[in-house]
Amino acid sequence: MTTRRKTWLGVGLFALAGTTVPALGSPPAIDAGAHQPAAMVAGTATDRLTLLAQAAAGGGGEGGEQGTVPESYALPSADPGDYKYDARDEINAYASGVYESYVASAAEVAKLQKAVAALLANPNAGTLAAARAVWTAARPAYLVTEAYRFYDGPIDAIEGEINAWPVNEAFIDYVVGAPNSGIINHPDSPISIASLIVNNQATDESDVTLGWHAIEFLLWGQDLSATGPGNRPASDYIAGQGNNDRRRLYLKLATDRLAEDIGKLLRAWAPDVPDNYAAVFRTLPEREAVGRIINGMAVLAGSELMSQRMAVGLDSGDQEDEHSCFSDTTHQDFVYDMEGIADIWSGRYSGYAGPGMRDLLTTVDPDLAAEVDGLMADAAAKIAVLGDPWDQVLASPPGSPERVKAEAAVGALGDLAQGLKRAGGKLGVLVQIPSG
Amino acid sequence: MRRVLLAAAVLVAAVAAATTLATGSGTSDLRAALLAMPLTRQLGGDTTRVIMSDDSFTFLASNAPAKRQRVFDFGNRVFNTKWAQYPSSTTSFDGLGPTFNRNSCSGCHVRDGRGRPPDKPGDPMESMLVRLSAPDGSPLPAYGDQLEDRAILAVKPEGRAIIDYQQIAGTYGDGTPYTLLDPHVHFVDTAFGSLDDALVSARVAPAVIGLGLLEAVPLSTLQALADPDDADGDGISGRINWLTDAQGNRVPGRFGWKANVATLADQSAVAAVEDIGITTAMQPHQNCPPVQQACRDAPAQADPEMKDSFFARLLVYVHTLAVPEARSLDRPEVRRGEQLFRRFGCAACHMPTLQSGPEAALPELANQTFHPFTDLLIHDMGEGLADHRPDRSASGREWRTAPLWGLGLILRVNGHDRLLHDGRARGPAEAILWHGGEAEKAREAFRTAPADERAALIAFLNAL
Repeated sequence: MTTRRKTWLGVGLFALAGTTVPALGSPPAIDAGAHQPAAMVAGTATDRLTLLAQAAAGGGGEGGEQGTVPESYALPSADPGDYKYDARDEINAYASGVYESYVASAAEVAKLQKAVAALLANPNAGTLAAARAVWTAARPAYLVTEAYRFYDGPIDAIEGEINAWPVNEAFIDYVVGAPNSGIINHPDSPISIASLIVNNQATDESDVTLGWHAIEFLLWGQDLSATGPGNRPASDYIAGQGNNDRRRLYLKLATDRLAEDIGKLLRAWAPDVPDNYAAVFRTLPEREAVGRIINGMAVLAGSELMSQRMAVGLDSGDQEDEHSCFSDTTHQDFVYDMEGIADIWSGRYSGYAGPGMRDLLTTVDPDLAAEVDGLMADAAAKIAVLGDPWDQVLASPPGSPERVKAEAAVGALGDLAQGLKRAGGKLGVLVQIPSG
Repeated sequence: MRRVLLAAAVLVAAVAAATTLATGSGTSDLRAALLAMPLTRQLGGDTTRVIMSDDSFTFLASNAPAKRQRVFDFGNRVFNTKWAQYPSSTTSFDGLGPTFNRNSCSGCHVRDGRGRPPDKPGDPMESMLVRLSAPDGSPLPAYGDQLEDRAILAVKPEGRAIIDYQQIAGTYGDGTPYTLLDPHVHFVDTAFGSLDDALVSARVAPAVIGLGLLEAVPLSTLQALADPDDADGDGISGRINWLTDAQGNRVPGRFGWKANVATLADQSAVAAVEDIGITTAMQPHQNCPPVQQACRDAPAQADPEMKDSFFARLLVYVHTLAVPEARSLDRPEVRRGEQLFRRFGCAACHMPTLQSGPEAALPELANQTFHPFTDLLIHDMGEGLADHRPDRSASGREWRTAPLWGLGLILRVNGHDRLLHDGRARGPAEAILWHGGEAEKAREAFRTAPADERAALIAFLNAL
């Protein structure tokens, strides 16, 4: 139905370039399905300036799953002397850091492929436990990359295939109370990468059948325990029994697809490729690039992490309303998402170090840079002491120490997001934080 | 939690007040007074948000108190939740189906925006559905009053609806040709018998913005605007679609393409159970007609699948989605378009200005002056748009005046510009050209106008 309007450059560049979307062609950054160019209403310059001026005066609001992408990230200014700074090094460092982070994530996912192969070759409690351990160990390298979302970049086009949740368990496999449920137990439904892709959020919203959490469900099974994670038996993977062969195929296809998807992101950000996303990103007008970088950080902190993954679960009172519910590893999701934000701030990525947003802001407003330092440290500290596993926090009563700590983390992430919004203001970029 | 439940109670009480207080004061005085009010960029009054992006329809009313945000965020979560098949680990968010149209509210109301028909005949309906009834207007015994075209794995969908189009050629007054798409619905894979004799009405999902304001328009306003017998002889009647609510009260319909639902609570509960298969305290029974045995046998929890506290927050969300600000109202062409909108007669039904009363579901919705471009009344729209399917007291030719706020942002938000109840119109001009019945004079004024005037009118609509 609704075509996903994915454009590699975001609308800002089009507005700046004064051209229409099709004229730019579609940079072959990644090959994640059909991307139709945006059909946009061309706003007048007056509209844009009005919009930006008023949004800058305290906009904020809520975004959809891809975040709010404005016409341009550059705040309007009457004085051509405003916002004069040289961010080229920081922008290049960001692009390099993003690339190296995906390199690291790809290496971890390759280990997961091996562990899954070992499980399928010899399914027993030991190989299953090993595969679970590798899944858990592979997560952090991906989680730090979540701060590269929310500006219509490469990840935003395929995030739903990589890290969507909650998983529609009963659509995939048996669940308690429905032993024959799921596509795995319906031999008339084909299991192929094509069929899984079709079923994975086929249009805008649908069943989550792929990605980290689908694999998590296949490794752990449902978490029906009040105190521990899911406990799927290794015998589910013994070949030739029941529908096990279909489950084996599903697990392998989903794991391979994850590796492929990370590979697409890696190629989109690879250096020295003339026409990939990174090449365009590195040549964006400075404030259009800085705007993307800071919005990714701020939206992850102030909306996705704070609201969608913490506050909503705290308010729902559902013990399993958590990001990694089958494995009970949600706490590390929080920790490494936060680390990803801090990496961009400091410029110290896994496998790469360069000038970060902190260095840039220091040239403009050292006091605010120091203040954001404090907000980063505070949010990280409050996340570090959260109850683990997180589902125990969700199960704890109102007013309990665990919930008080959780609310403190929610508050600290909100403060950090507001600090990043002010940083954006100093750097002349619009920061729109959903739920802001 | 208690605060939220209290809010829900207030929502219901306030709506009851707004819908039963009948004052019946001077009819034409109020219409004239509303028409005389100047149009401002603040289409949603103080709730208006300034944003132009894909997410233009997704913001909390800007005048809402800060404490509303977290409740709104949770409501957003419920609205976006992809309900899982029962039983799942996330016990609060399971219960999908057994039959359904989509597995989330946002599946059809994408980014709180507007749905559309499939690109190609035969493609699955992703953001619209088909209403059904027996020739006498009652629900079909085997299907109910809506075709659910999806189902959980062990259950068969009811069938699929396919829309084919016939091209209709026409010409503007200046000789410029145009083509309209005339839709025809037929069914395949019907699981419980033929639907050949059913009355059929295809409906796209409407945008969700500004609904709390519309709910807070006093009944007295609707009564003042209504002219069921065309007493003023202008050729435009305008009726309230009177309904009987669950408590047996006679209440005015406001929501839905035929104003066939009175309150957002009713609208949300009915959509949850019929479109997604999620029961609530207000709609506690699974949507499985007696002959649909597999549907009835599917495992399900006894309690409402959506908890009361979740439903209350969903209601806050659908009440408080902000209307985006109008753009370019000062441009000469747009100003001219506004004048033509009135001169052509569009404003007779698409009332530019309404006001909410002091009784509103939430304080930020009360006493607002806003610009929805609807009178919330049903009008005879002629044979071309007729679905011949009566709905409550609306006839098969009557439709509610559709609000026009946000119209110019649909393309941006939803990537299409398909308009009217079944999305047959490709953009505002075709939508106008489909108008008939009471709107025939206004349509002809547009059709026969010079090209620059037509363009100005469209520019005005796109500024909303």
